Amino acid sequence: MLRFTLRRAASALLTLLGVLALVFGLVTAAPGDAAALAARAGGNRAVSVSPEALAAFRHLYGLDRPVAERFLTWTWRALRLDFGRSLVDGQPVTARIARALPTTFALNLAALFLACLVGVPLGVAAARRPGGRLDRISGFVCDALFSTPTFVLGLLLLLVFSGWLRVTPVFADAETGLSGFVLPVVTLALASLALVARFVRVCVAAALADPAARAGRARGEGPPAEIRRALRRSSAPFAAMGAALVPAVVSGSILVERVFSLPGAGGLLAEAVFARDLPTVLALTLLSAVVVVAASLAADLVTAALDPRTVRADDAPPRGIAP
Amino acid sequence: MKKLALLAAAILLSACGVRGKSQDSVVRRRLDGEPKTLNPILATTDAEQIVLALVERNLLDYDEKLNLVPGLAEDVSDSPDHLTTTIRLRKDARWEDGTPVTSADVVFTLTTLLDPKTPALTRRALFDGFVRAEAVDARTARVMFKTVAAGRRDAFNLPLLSAAAWAGGDVATHPRNRNPLANGPYRLGSWEAGRTLTLVRNTQYFGEKPAPEQVIFRVVPETAPAFAALGTGDLDEMRLTAAQKKELDAKAGTAGTADVPRVITFDELSYIYFGWNNRLSVFADRRVRRALTMLVDRESIGRNLYGGLAKLANGPLPPAHWAWDSSIAPWPYDPKAAEALLDDAGFRKGADGTRRKGALRLAFTLSLGMGSDIQRQIVELAQQSYRKAGIDMAIQPLEWAAFAAKMDAGELEAWAAALNLDPNPDLAVSWHSGQVPPTGLNSAFYRNSEVDSLLDRLKTTFDKEETRALLAHVQALIHEDEPVTFLNVPLTKWGVASRLTNVRTSPYGLFLFWPGAAGWRTSATTGPIS
Repeated sequence: MLRFTLRRAASALLTLLGVLALVFGLVTAAPGDAAALAARAGGNRAVSVSPEALAAFRHLYGLDRPVAERFLTWTWRALRLDFGRSLVDGQPVTARIARALPTTFALNLAALFLACLVGVPLGVAAARRPGGRLDRISGFVCDALFSTPTFVLGLLLLLVFSGWLRVTPVFADAETGLSGFVLPVVTLALASLALVARFVRVCVAAALADPAARAGRARGEGPPAEIRRALRRSSAPFAAMGAALVPAVVSGSILVERVFSLPGAGGLLAEAVFARDLPTVLALTLLSAVVVVAASLAADLVTAALDPRTVRADDAPPRGIAP
Repeated sequence: MKKLALLAAAILLSACGVRGKSQDSVVRRRLDGEPKTLNPILATTDAEQIVLALVERNLLDYDEKLNLVPGLAEDVSDSPDHLTTTIRLRKDARWEDGTPVTSADVVFTLTTLLDPKTPALTRRALFDGFVRAEAVDARTARVMFKTVAAGRRDAFNLPLLSAAAWAGGDVATHPRNRNPLANGPYRLGSWEAGRTLTLVRNTQYFGEKPAPEQVIFRVVPETAPAFAALGTGDLDEMRLTAAQKKELDAKAGTAGTADVPRVITFDELSYIYFGWNNRLSVFADRRVRRALTMLVDRESIGRNLYGGLAKLANGPLPPAHWAWDSSIAPWPYDPKAAEALLDDAGFRKGADGTRRKGALRLAFTLSLGMGSDIQRQIVELAQQSYRKAGIDMAIQPLEWAAFAAKMDAGELEAWAAALNLDPNPDLAVSWHSGQVPPTGLNSAFYRNSEVDSLLDRLKTTFDKEETRALLAHVQALIHEDEPVTFLNVPLTKWGVASRLTNVRTSPYGLFLFWPGAAGWRTSATTGPIS
């Protein structure tokens, strides 16, 4: 198990480095640099931009240095949790992220909680009578939710509940209190809820059809015990699903924050990409990648603990090599 | 802990129904992005300029007719040789901390702005030829230049930095960039990053105090939520799309809708166009370029895509500019005449239906920045029309940053864009042959020695009527050459809460002239505060 854990941790570290190098390369290779874009910030204006000012901007943020040197410098500083200054406003990236993170964390955690709170019972209920009315209806609703872009879903909810019915505030702030967060959380939760409900339904239905479940029923086990057993048997796939949910929710929150004008890390990342604000993009990518990789690692470890066969399979030598 | 306290306060405020100031003394405005800085010489985005317009007066301000009028300076005058500008500050101009605005602030601002280490991207070029600035006395500063420039007076539409507040430290990362010292009608009250920015009345302001006590700017990047907020009264103003204007018009036509925001439409200094890279063989002949214009039904675009709220563009200046030449008739929509022009130019239809001149196919790729649905529709309409005429135009949507970078580098074959102009734009920036990429914005690579010569003369022409005549000549020549297809001049559409009054417009928009939004009243604040 230790070997398995170490191997997974090393693989996670390599993934992080790979993600960073890839993002650095992509943003650097994309047309347009931060200086020219800052000058263009007022749109397509017929105003000449001073070449000296552009050079000063590039020098200030080290954009005039070789790409490899910039990447190594950034990585070295990042190891000491110094992510540099934003090319957009000159503020420390850490401070910008610290301001945005609480909103994103609160939004994501609340959405995940709500998705599980509704999705798991819904999936279980649908699994108890596969093909029944509830299964069909929930399947249709989940498919519709899953295929609706988060941005569109959020906009629809906002227009109906805030613009038309006026039961929720348009903006979330100190004036509106928690009620302002209802729609963003629900929007983000709905897409994940569909995934959770369908996944749980499939796993539980399979577990209920298992000979062990039939044997339990023959022994006189009631429905609650039956469901508990089915859920226990599905815990390894559930852990994998949890890891898969994290990136979906993180990426969904970028759109939700934009629709609901929430100053979160998602909006910050989108803005940074468009402005070619590399230090902010890299820091947020690192953060996001750490969360996703950690969730994946946690899922692997939980799965391994629940089902040791996965560890044995992983530790087995490649075919063709004698033990 | 701080977050918890904030959360608790939010819940408490929500429960008590407390909304702070009386709604009538507050104006709620939209920003489509977070200001990156409130350092007035580094500011570039609309959001930054809009906030700063209420916080900092300029030495000279534009009035609503775009004349330069006294702001912080009671007088800005040139020496007879136009190499020295003398600035005389108002006696009563003060910073929000009560200290006077002095010539030391003028010198500090100009020295900082012209410092090679300062990344003042858009303002520095206006001071080309700057030698030095010096204080003559507490209220008088003198600025010396080594070259003459007729458009230099516009450079003094310049906000100031307080020498005391900004001294020391790097101007690009100075803490004051998020907490500027005001000399205008409002000062910064609070700034909740990414969410709201609140301005409160500046009691030290020398001029007429604004009527609303507060202006709350809210960052709302997307237009649909902003429109919902305009409907609920959470926002008092926003720029509208054609569809949103139509919706408000429809609501306004319904009985019992006194609270429906009203729509204001006005001309701005902008136009939309198709750019042609004149270096490419397909665009080298002006008959081809004229034909490309005459194949686009711009009347129909104005009628159908802009709801009738767009004029035809006829050249490099839009109708809102004081020197626009109304006698130049826009090229007509005339597909038959256009095809005849293409035939004359030697581009004849081949077997595949596409026009050719020898081995040269009349085919190109037109790029456009993503984000404007109307531009996309215009391009698609043009594509259909061009196809019928035997022109093969491919459409390439690009992310805006990539699009702008390629346009600035002169790498695009053809492109669709909107161009915004300043009150007294230097046309040389876009049309002089010495301003081709990568140094200038003449991305069409337009070259006409007569136009160059006129643009050079304009730089040293100070007489307004002479300037008008030269500009008329430039417009006529560019119209004849049609280096780009000047399409339409869409009117700006703004939704304004019915409770707001005295909302005036200018060709420079609603905010960047004086008094702009500082002159707004609400239903409860009918008069100025003295």
